[in-house]
Amino acid sequence: MTSKSIIQKTVSWLMLLLTTAFVLIPLYMIATASFKNERDIFEAPLVLWTENSGIFNFKQLDRFPLYIWNSIKVTFFCTVIQLGTASTSAYAFSKLKWRGRDALFVLYLMSMMIPIQVIIIPQFMVIKNLGLYNSHLALILVGSFTVFGTFLIKQFFMTLPDSIMESARIDGAHEWVIFLRIVMPLAKTVMATVLIFSFRWFWNEFFSALIYIASPELKTLPLGMTDFVTEYMVYFGPQMAAALISIVPVMILFLSLQKYFIQGIASSGIKG
Amino acid sequence: MKIKSLERASWFTVLSFLLPGFTGFLLFVFIPMISTIGVAFTNYSGGPNWKFIGIRNFRYLMESSQFHQSLLVTLQFVFFTVIFQILLGLLFAVLLNQGFRGTTFFRSLFFMPNVLSAVGVSLAFSLIFHPGAGFANQLLASLGLPPNTWLTSSDTALMSIIIVTLWMSFGYYMVIFLGGLQSISPSLYEAASIDGANGFHTFFKVTLPMLSPTMFFAMTMSIIGSFKVFDQVFMMTGGQAGGGPAGSTNVVVFDVYLNSFTNYKFGYASAESLILLVIILAITLIQFQNQKKWVTYDL
Repeated sequence: MTSKSIIQKTVSWLMLLLTTAFVLIPLYMIATASFKNERDIFEAPLVLWTENSGIFNFKQLDRFPLYIWNSIKVTFFCTVIQLGTASTSAYAFSKLKWRGRDALFVLYLMSMMIPIQVIIIPQFMVIKNLGLYNSHLALILVGSFTVFGTFLIKQFFMTLPDSIMESARIDGAHEWVIFLRIVMPLAKTVMATVLIFSFRWFWNEFFSALIYIASPELKTLPLGMTDFVTEYMVYFGPQMAAALISIVPVMILFLSLQKYFIQGIASSGIKG
Repeated sequence: MKIKSLERASWFTVLSFLLPGFTGFLLFVFIPMISTIGVAFTNYSGGPNWKFIGIRNFRYLMESSQFHQSLLVTLQFVFFTVIFQILLGLLFAVLLNQGFRGTTFFRSLFFMPNVLSAVGVSLAFSLIFHPGAGFANQLLASLGLPPNTWLTSSDTALMSIIIVTLWMSFGYYMVIFLGGLQSISPSLYEAASIDGANGFHTFFKVTLPMLSPTMFFAMTMSIIGSFKVFDQVFMMTGGQAGGGPAGSTNVVVFDVYLNSFTNYKFGYASAESLILLVIILAITLIQFQNQKKWVTYDL
């Protein structure tokens, strides 16, 4: 091996290791600070476990079991409904022929550019007029469809040859039968990708909850964490315990299903 | 024989597939989008009485120093975030594309922060950036450097938010670029090496042009994503205080939130949203126009 490539290799490894530290240290600090008292958090930031460590911070989070339950509820319904609306829309956009199809799809794609804050005021009025302000149904309805998911599933459906559907149509099968019996069983991978994207999105969703939820007992987990921001006196221990609770489920999901996460991103980026 | 699939599907069938998703899109995205344009020309403040006031909201905005500042803050945030997301994403994609052992491990590790809650991550970084004895300052001290003010000074607050954003997002762009790199045909590299091109030449004459469609996609995603930043600003410098020390992290989407849901100036905030939307559309349009000059689609 030439000396040049040895230097190159060493520099590469050094950068990877430094970046690994940069990525892991904040996570390590959340995990360890959750079990420390206020003084130890700053005096021994990198010590794993001090003599004062314990689960006392978690005991202060008495409202969090409720927040977690609310998050599970909202995330579950949003994810299930999104899978339904995205896969049927994607079928209509890829395997059915109708006038205005492509124009409407372009409109869908363009709407991905719009920050939600830009449309939040009229959206808020719609929800208020439906009598849904301060309810979980508000969060579930505004999360009931996904343009990104529709896009991903449509990309997948377009790879399926039309001949599969044609023979079924000639046999007289209804489009819904074709969709449910033939197309959906083939779409397991892309559905898994959309499922975890949607889970991740709703588990972390903050802005809509901030706008639509007012009662403490209806708060979702990310919104519940603002309980700490409004206080003048900052207690970092309970904050880190709360952060840990919000991060662990989605981290476990990611570590067990990373293939789908990364596939979804990579496949959205490569243009034909 | 006529093949049935070449015919248009019946409207009833189309609607039965389309309507579930489209209703949500119509009610919660499309109609609000159109309404925002209307509300921007009123003095609506949530109550029953409101009237059309023409372009007065826009005139006030033009004169508002808070709006000027938030535009400037947004553009700074977008500029630095996009540049570093692209550079870091590309750098680590190239590093990991060398056929290292452990590529999958690093790829997953660097991508992981992207799936975590921005709210939880912001809490962690507010601990690290603590102005007194936060870990970031302890690290600086151990290198013999003076402590930084991080989130507590108007000079450094925006930079701190940018660092958190990069921590969460560079892995996402790395994955996009890795996908792009792996779709480049190896025969191009063989041809380049037969022609005697060195690594430097190969990167700029083969890799980058072949990567340009991916680059274009990544830049579009990055610009649009950066304009949307909210959670970090709210958690780290916003909250009840409002946009960081002296408004230094008051990005436009956060300012819209403040004006609508803290000050109830719905008309004014809608006008502000509209200006933001026009800016995003203009930038995206310029990008699409410009892509002809540098994006190569033929292989």
